[in-house]
Amino acid sequence: MSGDIPRGSLSSTDDVSQLIEELQYTLGEGPCVDAYRQDTVVAEPDLAEPVARRWPAFTPPALQAGARAVFGFPLRVGTVRLGALNLYRDRPGLLNREQHADALVVADVAARWVLDAQAGAPSGVVAKELEAGADFHFGVHNAAGMVSVQEGISVAEALIRLRAFAFGNDRLLDDVADDIVAGRVRLP
Amino acid sequence: MFQAAEAMRSLAEMADALVDDYDVVDLLTGLADRCVNVLGVAAAGVMLVSPGGSLGLVASSSETMRLLELFELQAQEGPCLDAFRTGERVEHQDLEAESSRWPSFSAAALKEGFQSVSALPLRFRDVTLGALNLFSVTPAPMAEGDVIVARAFADLATLSIVQHRASAGAQRVNEQLSAALTSRVVIEQAKGVVAERAGVDLAEAFSRLRAYTRKSNLRLTDVAEAAVAGTLDLDPLAWAHGVRW
Repeated sequence: MSGDIPRGSLSSTDDVSQLIEELQYTLGEGPCVDAYRQDTVVAEPDLAEPVARRWPAFTPPALQAGARAVFGFPLRVGTVRLGALNLYRDRPGLLNREQHADALVVADVAARWVLDAQAGAPSGVVAKELEAGADFHFGVHNAAGMVSVQEGISVAEALIRLRAFAFGNDRLLDDVADDIVAGRVRLP
Repeated sequence: MFQAAEAMRSLAEMADALVDDYDVVDLLTGLADRCVNVLGVAAAGVMLVSPGGSLGLVASSSETMRLLELFELQAQEGPCLDAFRTGERVEHQDLEAESSRWPSFSAAALKEGFQSVSALPLRFRDVTLGALNLFSVTPAPMAEGDVIVARAFADLATLSIVQHRASAGAQRVNEQLSAALTSRVVIEQAKGVVAERAGVDLAEAFSRLRAYTRKSNLRLTDVAEAAVAGTLDLDPLAWAHGVRW
């Protein structure tokens, strides 16, 4: 997503989910769009008898394609909002507790891969940072805040630049962050 | 050893805060401060579990890097992790005498001058959400009265997360936890922004953010988000002679 506008889909598992993505891209409405805009999980357990009338253009073609229940999970890393993860089911019903928890984890991982992809780092190199707890290495976020002021860029972009710098210099992101916070290093 | 009157006033103040409109990270930071004052411990912190299953720090009585790192270590090993996993209070009276339980954590804690540690699980119905961590510079067990008060603080911490106004729409406790942890990340980013603009260290940056919320009557997370988004006028924070909290 960019601003409030869907910019395109990164990946889809089958024809129906691809259609769901394209519909939202074309129409600018749907569960992913809402999930991103409101920064919250959006669930519609039955498009045929929806909880609220909210997607008049999206709903009929989605139903026709075979989607009955749809869900949107926001993709974000800390405060950086990237887009949304789309899930659908061909029969009505909410996600159960396990599925919901799993989806949150998938959204978490997907968000970080998107950031890393933008930084130009292959997933192998930053795999360590996808380990549990990586998001809570505050140093990285402190450094991103500092770099955003130093470079006059958004914190989102600062995070990307930090990852790119770490990758380009073959260093761990945490170590780079430590150096930035201590004032030993500034991004070129 | 706590003073009963002091403890009662502190707990009553927390309960008052909970029925008001509050910011989760701000309230939990205040709770950590109160634990230090009332229980006579050296440091306190609240860790929560993320949807991914790992523990993250949400609030601490001190913003010194060393202490924050001590909490970060506990995602891998330590009293908080044990309390979270077992749902039971965990106590280690003498880290120096017995450090094989948590070798890395004990070494780091001792280096900071802490000799004993305890963690109380944050329990909500049949689920454990995280832990309240207390550090002491003396090797001694917690007195029974202290344990009771500490548990009350732990329960208040739990309530502050699960009944927060902003998570009224959240269908799962998972999302409430995620929101609290995300708030913390935003605050860390804001600390960096303020530290760079004001030319101060991160701990001082945090003090200024909190002081600013008092003066402006805004919520800590909102101030942090605005600082990160670039929509906050940072000059008052840049020249403020910080009021110490």
